[in-house]
Amino acid sequence: MRRSRTSRVLLSVLALAVSAVWAFPVYWMLNSAFLPNVVLQSTTPTFLPFGGSFDNFGVVAGDPAFGRALGVSLVVTLTTVVAALAVAFLGALAVSRFRFRGRTSFVLALLLIQMLPAEGLFIAQYKMMSSLGLLNRSLGLAVLYTAAVVPFTIWMLRGFVAGVPADLEEAAMVDGLSRTQAFLRITFPLLAPGLVASGVYAFLQAWNEFTVALVVMTEEQSRTLPLWLRGFVQASASRETDWGQVMAASTLVALPVIVFFLVVQGRMSSGLVGGAVKG
Amino acid sequence: MTSRTTAPSSPATAPVPPVPPVPSATPARRKGRGSRPGGRLPLLLVLPTLVLLVAALGYPVAWQLVTSLRKFGLKQQFGAPPEWVGLDNYVALVTDPALWAVVLRSVVFCLVTAFVTVAVGGGIAVLMNALGRGVRLVLQVSLLLAWAMPVVAAMTVWIWIVDWRRGLLNWLLVHLGVDGAAGHNWLAEPLSFFVVASTIVVWMSVPFVALSIYAGLTQVGTEVVEASMLDGAGGWQRLRYIYAPLVAPVLSIVLLLQLIWDLRVFTQIKLLQDAGSVANETNLLGTYVYQLGTGKGDFGTASAVSVLMLLLTVALSWRYVRSLMAQEN
Amino acid sequence: MNRRLPLVLLTSAALALTACANDGGSKEPAATSTADNAGKTVTLWLAGGDTPDELRTYLTDTFKAKTGATLKIEEQAWPDLVTKLTTALPDAANTPDVTELGNTQSPTFTNVGAFLDISDMYDELGGSKLLNSFVEAGSVDGKKYALPYYFGSRYMFYRKDVWKKAGIEVPTTLEQFNSDVEKIATDNPDQIKNFSGFFIGGQDWRNGISWVFANGGDLAKKQDGKWVSTLSDANTLKGLQQLQQIQRSASKAPADAKDQSPWLYINDSDTILDDAGKAAGKTSLAAATIMAPGWAHWSIGDLTKKDGKEVRTWDDAKFGVFTLPGTDGKPAPVFAGGSNIAISAKSKNPALAKELMKIIFSPEYQQKLGGAGLGPANSDYVSSLGDDAFAKALVESASNSKLTPAAPGWAAVESAQVLEEFFGKIRGTDDLAGLAQQYDAKITPMLNLS
Repeated sequence: MRRSRTSRVLLSVLALAVSAVWAFPVYWMLNSAFLPNVVLQSTTPTFLPFGGSFDNFGVVAGDPAFGRALGVSLVVTLTTVVAALAVAFLGALAVSRFRFRGRTSFVLALLLIQMLPAEGLFIAQYKMMSSLGLLNRSLGLAVLYTAAVVPFTIWMLRGFVAGVPADLEEAAMVDGLSRTQAFLRITFPLLAPGLVASGVYAFLQAWNEFTVALVVMTEEQSRTLPLWLRGFVQASASRETDWGQVMAASTLVALPVIVFFLVVQGRMSSGLVGGAVKG
Repeated sequence: MTSRTTAPSSPATAPVPPVPPVPSATPARRKGRGSRPGGRLPLLLVLPTLVLLVAALGYPVAWQLVTSLRKFGLKQQFGAPPEWVGLDNYVALVTDPALWAVVLRSVVFCLVTAFVTVAVGGGIAVLMNALGRGVRLVLQVSLLLAWAMPVVAAMTVWIWIVDWRRGLLNWLLVHLGVDGAAGHNWLAEPLSFFVVASTIVVWMSVPFVALSIYAGLTQVGTEVVEASMLDGAGGWQRLRYIYAPLVAPVLSIVLLLQLIWDLRVFTQIKLLQDAGSVANETNLLGTYVYQLGTGKGDFGTASAVSVLMLLLTVALSWRYVRSLMAQEN
Repeated sequence: MNRRLPLVLLTSAALALTACANDGGSKEPAATSTADNAGKTVTLWLAGGDTPDELRTYLTDTFKAKTGATLKIEEQAWPDLVTKLTTALPDAANTPDVTELGNTQSPTFTNVGAFLDISDMYDELGGSKLLNSFVEAGSVDGKKYALPYYFGSRYMFYRKDVWKKAGIEVPTTLEQFNSDVEKIATDNPDQIKNFSGFFIGGQDWRNGISWVFANGGDLAKKQDGKWVSTLSDANTLKGLQQLQQIQRSASKAPADAKDQSPWLYINDSDTILDDAGKAAGKTSLAAATIMAPGWAHWSIGDLTKKDGKEVRTWDDAKFGVFTLPGTDGKPAPVFAGGSNIAISAKSKNPALAKELMKIIFSPEYQQKLGGAGLGPANSDYVSSLGDDAFAKALVESASNSKLTPAAPGWAAVESAQVLEEFFGKIRGTDDLAGLAQQYDAKITPMLNLS
């Protein structure tokens, strides 16, 4: 590259400044998670958690409800991710490989559904889940979540599917592979980044969702992590909100996502491409 | 000229499975199987999606439409027979200046926030593309961390930052010599409230946008870039003539999604309202529906606002969606 | 009364009698026998973490021993309670059998028919001994639906050291209080920037209405069967004018501040450093007086280290409490906090739910509430709160406390945050009466459910 040394240095400095802006709130959450509440209330900010402790994490992780909520969240989220990918993959296949009657309406409908405001739907959602006997069931919540993420997932995946030339698969079949083999060996690896990208999107939506879970998961046994986190935020007649604990709890909620992200990070940032490019 | 591979794996990214080279193709105008009418197969393929959407959303959406035509409050929710009122809820709404104030505010907020988000995200993507591996990785990880942070935690931290007495922002300003910043309340005035809200929403949305656009940029084959450099194209020219046309489709999709999502923004506004400000002067459509429904228990009117909101989104994005659809076919 | 007598296993009728022996009025036997109830479960929703674990265990154990059925307690977060009540109460299959709810939320849910009429148990559960304003909030046309669960109250926390430096004693009338806090703010003995004699957020109407109530005003009244907002009535206006004066000259709180964590302002915060970075001896402090619910005292005090952790420790030499005095020198009517408790109209186990109510209103449980610092619903057991300064201030301030209007649409007024908006504009307005009329017009239509 011909770019001069100084301009490279300048760009790097700029990039680090931008990184700092985006990472700072995350750092602040982590920092506060180590500090006692009285320190957090001070008018002078404490920038480093010296003198802090793991106490907040101890309290939060020691809550028996945490393990339960983690379990529910994992089940609901993973079900959502798998179901959304499966359903959306088929839908994306139809949209990108075939011209069928109603195709444009189908794609438009997917877009319209994203525009539905969710704040007014909860009574009907509750009634529906109640009459189906799906209240407090991970399955019920996962169905609602899957329906919420599928439209966007199809939009994202269809670009990837279109990006895999059908000729490749056909060529492989000419070489003696069965259709399934051809799909598994040729098409699937090419779709992997797209599936990962869509999967991350679905994961994040299901993992952090609050309102729908609040309405259909009425029992303590079936609460998800965001509902559990809520319990730390509210003050009560006998105590004020302990923000250090809230931040420790938030860190625990974010941790699985961060781990998941870092693992798939490379695949994802390339994966976001194809889907979006195809428009 | 585009090799529509699923991105040449960028050097900065973590292990990516070897992507087999894919022959150049122009998939949007795919011949052969890609455009065949397909008989029953495509319908079978979309069937699961349709069943799922109808099962999960059919009843709630129908309920909302029906309820918007009824007088439906808490009494009705607790068993009193609802009464049909035709379009009364809608008429009451559109003749109420309060609704139009909310609509205007929402539209302005949505446009400003979405465009700023895409501009900032695009800028960061271009920056990433120009960086060396190490720094880029730092930037990517920062964005991902911000994206993964639970909304409640993110909002709490942001509210601390702008707090009038203990906030970092005022603390910093005072240390920079702006004495008037001590005790300044950023949430009290609607204008500065929305600047704060918009900043937070931009902060939350940029990771998705930046990473998407960056991914689009990495699709530009290195051969093309090198060839253009041999031809003497400068950085700006490369951006203008090589990257921009290729990234345009990503930009338009991302912008559309941001517009849709920012018009229905709810959680951030609600939590900021709880921290300060006058709720009725800072309501956007999302919080307005919430206040009418959950708050006042007037589900008929809340449903009518939801329906109006859907129509508004469609109206605003109609031309845009049509041009997208045209590209599609 | 020992509830764990072996006797309970023999006859349930005897059990019901022993359990309710204190009133002697119960002649009916328990609805079902313990053996029949073995497989049944009754659900109780408690709001927030206010009821301590010990009391929850007591309820489940006692309920099991008394009825043979299982009591399942589910905690609901306060901010989400209305949403959850709205969806679950009308749903027979999933309704909680008994639920706690905020006292100001009671009129709305009571009026729409969400609860079971328990007028027949009223006397047995305590009758006229129960906190009357709360009972009214849960009644329609004289029938009782929701009864008080516990009460809290608001009183004043003040800095003895600052008040002393300003040369001021604890006031005995409201007028005195008003001028005292103004004087402290003006004198500002420690020369602290933005110092409040009395810190009250502009939108903090729950504390602000004390001035309205104390001057004989109210937020709304029932007139010819309809509720009307009364912000512009003469007495209400008088209180609002006093509040305006306080907001303008005694309080430096922002106009949009709500009643969240006011105790932060009365604590010494950090040592202020001089230019050389040495402690200049002063600490930053924002207010000499605040008004807060009683439990705030856990968060007020000097910063000390306890077991290696930094905590706030109450210091009697520096901090004190008093009840806001009324115009006549008696305690001013302040806003009563607390909650009600009711049986869902859709409960499938009304008989068992009633048994649970009996346990909650039993002397043992009422005293346990007091022991946990929560004001017991039955005035006979108020002494269980103890006799420290906080308990005294709680009982004293509650003695004259008042609730928001029992209008069916009150929940709508609160959730639309109109009062926050109105109170937030008081400081800035030059036409208080006009502003009040404008908001009367806004609030009146919301008060009556149609």
